[in-house]
Amino acid sequence: MLDASPPSRYPTPMTVAKLAEVARVDLDLCDRCGLCLPLCPPEAIHLQFNILLIDDAACTGCHKCIAPCPVRALAMVPA
Amino acid sequence: MPDVDVLVVGAGPAGCVAALEAQRAGPDLDVVLLERDRAVGSPVRCAEGVGDAGLREFANPDGASWVARRITRVIFLAPDDTEVKVAERDVGWILDRTRFDAFLAAEAVAAGVQLHVGTEATGMTRMDGRWVVTTRGPGGSDTYRARMVIAADGVETMVGRWAGLDTRVPARDMESCAQYVVQGIDFDPSAIYLQFGDRIAPGGYAWLFPKGPDVANVGLGIVALKSGGKSARQYLDDWMTRRYPHGARLGYTVGGVIVHPTIRNTATDGVLVAGDAAHMVNPLSGGGIVNAMKAGRLAGRTAAQAIAQGDTSARRLGTYHDAWMRMLGEDHLKYYRLKQALERLDDGFYDGLARTVNAIPEAKRTLGRIFAHALVRHPQLIPVAARFFV
Repeated sequence: MLDASPPSRYPTPMTVAKLAEVARVDLDLCDRCGLCLPLCPPEAIHLQFNILLIDDAACTGCHKCIAPCPVRALAMVPA
Repeated sequence: MPDVDVLVVGAGPAGCVAALEAQRAGPDLDVVLLERDRAVGSPVRCAEGVGDAGLREFANPDGASWVARRITRVIFLAPDDTEVKVAERDVGWILDRTRFDAFLAAEAVAAGVQLHVGTEATGMTRMDGRWVVTTRGPGGSDTYRARMVIAADGVETMVGRWAGLDTRVPARDMESCAQYVVQGIDFDPSAIYLQFGDRIAPGGYAWLFPKGPDVANVGLGIVALKSGGKSARQYLDDWMTRRYPHGARLGYTVGGVIVHPTIRNTATDGVLVAGDAAHMVNPLSGGGIVNAMKAGRLAGRTAAQAIAQGDTSARRLGTYHDAWMRMLGEDHLKYYRLKQALERLDDGFYDGLARTVNAIPEAKRTLGRIFAHALVRHPQLIPVAARFFV
């Protein structure tokens, strides 16, 4: 029955999420080591007043900051 | 708005030496050193190992309170745990960074530098040939007008970015590190231990650096792109469980080591970048303390001279970049290429090399001899050596 359904003209919800993801930091886990800042191609990550800040408008959802975080404090979320 | 001549951001080894040298080269200059953390030297994000000759250019370690251990041996561990002891004298020292950084900062202060701890630079803009730097500290917000800014703000490297320099790092050149301070384990307290291997620390290595007879920094660095989703801490926990299952974990730290060659431009109008912030770590060893101090010395002196000459333009300050590249930057490019070549060799190669090298009598087992021996017994290494020396 599934095969019979017509192909959607619209992206699936999964696709939408992937196209519009931004990085989020869990500040309870974040150690403020600063490792992720120079990894960010659009320089969207800032460390100020002992808080890691991610500029949603600048984040391109490229994932480059996610895996290198030694404490896994960063994750991608739907924008 | 305080007017200052040299504003140094970050009181690690690069910043402390930069401030000290700027003040020594220009006793009449107003030199201000900012440290974001509440205490210089803390938190320690470092394995604390340093070579003997490089350290002695800046401070005498004999009997110093900021030294934890003298190191006279290096023990390499192949991926299959084969031990290779390398005979070297006066290899280096394990520092107590909390005390060492404080010692350097105190020297700067004694020379006339104003140190402000708990004070963070929050942004800067160029105005009438000066940098206007906003800060936030215990007394609230402040604004400095500086002829020269020395960016020694470490791995996060934001100050250079504010000045328009590209301080970014490709993900393959960032080592993610985790380290425990471990007590109650057996090791040779005069040796550092280094273990390589794709299953142990992909893209990096694991280390044990003694801090006392039974206390050591035990850590490792990995390149996340090669780790298959496992974090540095998970690799470290696995290594600890295998090698030091009964050690008491007294402390834990994480951080990044940039194993990328020096940034293309370490100088621009009124700004010099030094140390980790300028990617001045040795890309092969991951060591950066002495490099940072050498760059700091160069930056401090260059800043003082440029102010004396009334020219702090990017063109004038380019001498700093050139001098750094001649001193160490070009060597780092070679180390970087060597690291890339070594990464293509697998665990089996290192296991075999370790057994070959152990056939050399221990007293004659210097790093140079190991390398020469390896070239004869393992022809695969010849192209690596060729790349290194070309």
